[in-house]
Amino acid sequence: MASELDNIELRPARRRFMQGAAALATTLIAPGVLLYKTGHAQGENEANAGNKDRPAIPRWGLLIDTNALSEADVDACVSACQREHGWSSDAGSPTDAQWIRKVHLTDKQSGQQTVLPMMCQHCADPPCVDVCPTGASFKRADGIVLVNKHTCIGCRYCMMACPYKARSFIHEVLQDQLAVAPRGKGTVESCTLCVHRIDRDGANAVPACAEAVNRGERKAILFGDLNDPDSEISQRLQSHRTTRLRADLGVDPGVSYQGL
Amino acid sequence: MRYLALSALLGWFACLPAAAAEVESSGFGAVVIPQPTKPGNASACVEPVDIMRRDHMKFLLHQRDATVLEGERDSKYSLVGCMDCHNATEPTETVVRYPDPQHFCAGCHLYASVKIDCFECHADRSLKQLQQGRLDLPLENLPLEDQPGSALLSLQTFHQQLGTSGGE
Repeated sequence: MASELDNIELRPARRRFMQGAAALATTLIAPGVLLYKTGHAQGENEANAGNKDRPAIPRWGLLIDTNALSEADVDACVSACQREHGWSSDAGSPTDAQWIRKVHLTDKQSGQQTVLPMMCQHCADPPCVDVCPTGASFKRADGIVLVNKHTCIGCRYCMMACPYKARSFIHEVLQDQLAVAPRGKGTVESCTLCVHRIDRDGANAVPACAEAVNRGERKAILFGDLNDPDSEISQRLQSHRTTRLRADLGVDPGVSYQGL
Repeated sequence: MRYLALSALLGWFACLPAAAAEVESSGFGAVVIPQPTKPGNASACVEPVDIMRRDHMKFLLHQRDATVLEGERDSKYSLVGCMDCHNATEPTETVVRYPDPQHFCAGCHLYASVKIDCFECHADRSLKQLQQGRLDLPLENLPLEDQPGSALLSLQTFHQQLGTSGGE
């Protein structure tokens, strides 16, 4: 009895010691490589597991190059999205629809300004899905986060939960909605990553915002499959330094920004 | 009440081939029988008429979940498809909105006291031509929304076009 108690008391201390020793050893051997390596290995394992049993499920994402985007380009993104889905923010009210919006970042020291398009980040662990009381806010198998308006009750809990303020609520009665984007009073809505184009064109799809600003080889907004290591977006994410907004929240956004 | 429903149902099926809405005199008072008109531009519906009468709501319900949750968009049972045939107004015609008994869906729904909210979110008429025209505009030289001679049709213009051509 006494020996068992001793063991229980000793175990946590021993574990802490072993963890400390392992971390120390790794830091000594390869300082700075640890985080990258473990993250990379985990990703590989997941991809392999998918390949073995069934065709790999894509995870759609965007890479937005803020260096290639002028303010006019971001305006073009917003207009293109409005035209594609038939929403508008004509009234300029804070309750307007906001599938995509323009965000200014200012470096307080240098005064340098960056402008970027902000929309649903299509998180792998979306807080909006966690909080939805009816399951209307959901993540598709391919990683696109959507609102099922058939079951949305308009409680707006997801709007509160979203750290990116990506969702908006429809306050007005609407008619003559576009076929690709049914939307009506009393439901929440957000960027769909142009899901109707993705369902039609797969990996070759180009969301409306990307179509508006991509000219020739320079792709300011790059759409692609994050799970496919050979896709253009995965290649660029590997070779360039990119930022995911509020990565500290651990929601694993599908949208990355370059040049922030 | 049951007799009323039964006679109404029998009356409905008996009178469907007739041309226009008519008032049937029975012992229970005047009953307006809905007479949905067939679209002139299509030879047949996606299923035989008797199946569509009973089961169109099941098709639509199944289709909506398959589309939203799994992204299946090429099924023949789509509400947009319904409207493309059953409420495809010519630009010169008056637009028929859903609560109007003349609307293809509303006639029977009013008669049978069915309350749906499909058209809170979905367009209650075909917008095929207008939308195609909107999307076919060149995407070059963006953004031009605020500039004269804009290639990007502003939403205000779009709604104006809908208003003038649809006769709202």
